[in-house]
Amino acid sequence: MNTISPTTTAKRQLTYEVVSGGSGLLLALFMWGHMVLVGSILTGERGFNWLATMLEDYYIAQPTVAAILVLFLAHAVLASRKIPAQLRERRKMLELGKGLSRSGREKVASASPFSPFHPHTESLLWIWQVRTGMIILVLGSFHIILLGMDVLTELFGTRVGIEAVTTMERVQAGLWLPYAILLVCVEFHASIGLYRLATKWGAGAMLSRTAIHHIERVLLWFFLGLGVVVLLVLAGVMPPPLAFLLGGAGS
Amino acid sequence: MTARTTQAGRRLRFEIFRYNPEDPESAPHMQTFELDETPYMSIFIALNEIREKQDPSLQYDFACRSAICGSCGMMVNGRPSLGCRTLTSDLPDVIKLHPLPVFKLIGDLSVDTGTWFREMVEKTEGWIHAQEAFDPDAQEARMDDDTAAAIYENDRCIECGCCVASCGAANVNEEFLGPAGLNRIARFAMDPRDERDDADWFEVVSSQDGVFGCIGLMACHDICPKELPLLEVYGYLRRKALSSAMSRRS
Ligand code: HEM
Ligand code: SF4
Ligand code: SF4
Ligand code: FES
Repeated sequence: MNTISPTTTAKRQLTYEVVSGGSGLLLALFMWGHMVLVGSILTGERGFNWLATMLEDYYIAQPTVAAILVLFLAHAVLASRKIPAQLRERRKMLELGKGLSRSGREKVASASPFSPFHPHTESLLWIWQVRTGMIILVLGSFHIILLGMDVLTELFGTRVGIEAVTTMERVQAGLWLPYAILLVCVEFHASIGLYRLATKWGAGAMLSRTAIHHIERVLLWFFLGLGVVVLLVLAGVMPPPLAFLLGGAGS
Repeated sequence: MTARTTQAGRRLRFEIFRYNPEDPESAPHMQTFELDETPYMSIFIALNEIREKQDPSLQYDFACRSAICGSCGMMVNGRPSLGCRTLTSDLPDVIKLHPLPVFKLIGDLSVDTGTWFREMVEKTEGWIHAQEAFDPDAQEARMDDDTAAAIYENDRCIECGCCVASCGAANVNEEFLGPAGLNRIARFAMDPRDERDDADWFEVVSSQDGVFGCIGLMACHDICPKELPLLEVYGYLRRKALSSAMSRRS
């Protein structure tokens, strides 16, 4: 072959690809688990505190925060390598994506399964994936560091560790806004990311792309909805709806 | 579904990109032409009409008029399409035509896809690699039906360049082999007559100019007028890269 590059380069490229996709996958899986963790607030402050203290007492929370931080940074660095460096190139991709997503919407006559006309949106969605990724990088770093300090130090609240009272105070004091933005960005970014990851590695052989797309939609709306409810409870706008499970609200 | 072939008495507005790189006087601009729609009017018919009756200097390519030769690719309202199989009845009243990006512009809507595809074939060495001299009298080696069918699927590419033009990655990375290039690799990689092994392919496939240059935008798959299973091609190549790297480690 006349295009042989040194094997180490080829291997390194494969590693980058696997790490960027794998870290995305792990982060997405973690985010579902994370929803269960913060979701404990739906049972009231007692449930939330019990879970937080348990995870801290058994030293599950501390290494998890560190591992997520590493994954988060590795993913940000490696996934970003696909973003074109020049503004001119990014504009070109944006314009192409916009054009593709608009044409075909008209779909006047031959809307048969073989019609060449159906709007193509995934190219434009990638650009939103990049944009949401950048927002996640800023807001997510802040959130991970804040929670890291919560878990490891006495800086916030009355003791070392996460407490419902401190968390709710912070959310009510205004953190609800960055958290709401982070929630939308993460759910959007992760669901498209998983859909793309699955199609890229050829899940199409088992599930049709329509099916994968459908699953992605369901996951997106489910976790987005759940996240909104959790945030409303943390903000004190709504009483914990599952409080009856632990025999009433309060701490 | 029955296709409507025209919308009652439409007057179509064509906005066409004009530029002749050969002519120092020429500057890129859009020119508007108006035309009455006729039944079964394709972009090909419309452009012929415009060239015949309105502007003989308009440049565009067509040969087979039946989606086989791959010469009529162009951007139709932002979407790479074959002019000969795109019916105006599927489009709104205003139709914007641009040349395909990525490829070298010859003039107006005409681009040079030939050079790009030739370079791609040279880079991927898109021909059967076999040590043994070809014996025209010998009986052909047998191939199982599934393999033959899979190879045939990938071989249906007419080199129109629509996928390349639609690909965000190919638009910003000149070295990227692009959808059609990756498809060509897959075609020879799955051919049992080709003696290149996984290690040979690994070097070409596992790179930012190979399959990892693809960011999974899926535009190529949605756009390909011959409906090639391009997404399956990338999945195949990615898994192949992964498995050949793992098998070499052990
Ligand atoms: C730290 C901030 C983040 C940045 C800057 C970022 C950026 C990106 C970018 C640019 C891509 C596209 C890469 C490609 O197409 O190959 C991507 C893919 C992805 N991201 Fe993120 N992301 C971030 C955080 C996250 C988080 C928190 C999750 C999980 C909830 C996540 C899950 C994914 C997944 C599953 C993919 C698909 C991977 C692939 O297609 O190979 N990302 N990310
Ligand atoms: S893969 Fe499809 S779109 Fe691409 S050049 Fe071949 S026929 Fe055209
Ligand atoms: S799937 Fe890959 S090759 Fe196809 S358009 Fe997207 S980036 Fe390009
Ligand atoms: S003229 Fe041959 S493909 Fe359109």
